[in-house]
Amino acid sequence: MMNTETQQPTRASAAFALAAAIACVFNTALAWAKDAYAPLNTFMASLTGHHWITHALADCIVFVGLGLIFMNTSVANKTDPKRLVSILTWAVVAASLGLFAWYLLF
Amino acid sequence: MNITSRDVILLAHAAFGTLAGLAALWVFVEALNAHPGNAGRMYKAALIAAISMGATWILGGYWYVHFYPVDKAIILKGPWPFSHNLFMETKEHLIFITGILAFYLPIAVRDKVYAKPIARRMVLSVAMLIVLTDLAAEGAGAIIHQGVSIALQRGNEKGRQ
Repeated sequence: MMNTETQQPTRASAAFALAAAIACVFNTALAWAKDAYAPLNTFMASLTGHHWITHALADCIVFVGLGLIFMNTSVANKTDPKRLVSILTWAVVAASLGLFAWYLLF
Repeated sequence: MNITSRDVILLAHAAFGTLAGLAALWVFVEALNAHPGNAGRMYKAALIAAISMGATWILGGYWYVHFYPVDKAIILKGPWPFSHNLFMETKEHLIFITGILAFYLPIAVRDKVYAKPIARRMVLSVAMLIVLTDLAAEGAGAIIHQGVSIALQRGNEKGRQ
């Protein structure tokens, strides 16, 4: 039987993996939203001078903020580690293809 | 020779993007053969990927905000408007995903990749996703550049006729 410690990622690794998955999906959702709803784009531009800068900052805040929250809770650590890798991988694939498909179709 | 800051920023953006992708590939190869002896080297490579990605974000963002509107107008009047409408629009948001992964990579590599199969699996997945999304961004950059180039070329041809 394998030692359970060898089957668990560190707390930080698990927390930020889940945060990265959510931040990637958030990034695509925000890109869709500001493309579909011009006032949001204008509002984001008014915050920093350009919508792209606000978008970058929002992604960083979601990634770092959720990572720190998940580190202090057991949400990420309770998730099956293999599932965590799959969640991150599929979140990145879906978010990337989602961006391409959106600008291809709309 | 007339090299402007606009040119330097754009080329540095592409160079740091390539460096980030190569560093992530380096991490991937080290993780395939993970052992206690290469843990430090793998961490350094992950840091290079994260720092280079940060640099390419800042340089690319500065260029996009200050210089790209001129290129965008040229592209949209040319025969390849899709190089902005599809490729630039995708690239300017896809690069955030590559960045998030690159910033996460050093955290994943800090785990005992040589001892934990799950940590190795995570590092291999993240490093490969960085390489693939980075290559997609590099390819999109080439198509955007071609969109400007073709528009200017066709414009010159029409001017001569």
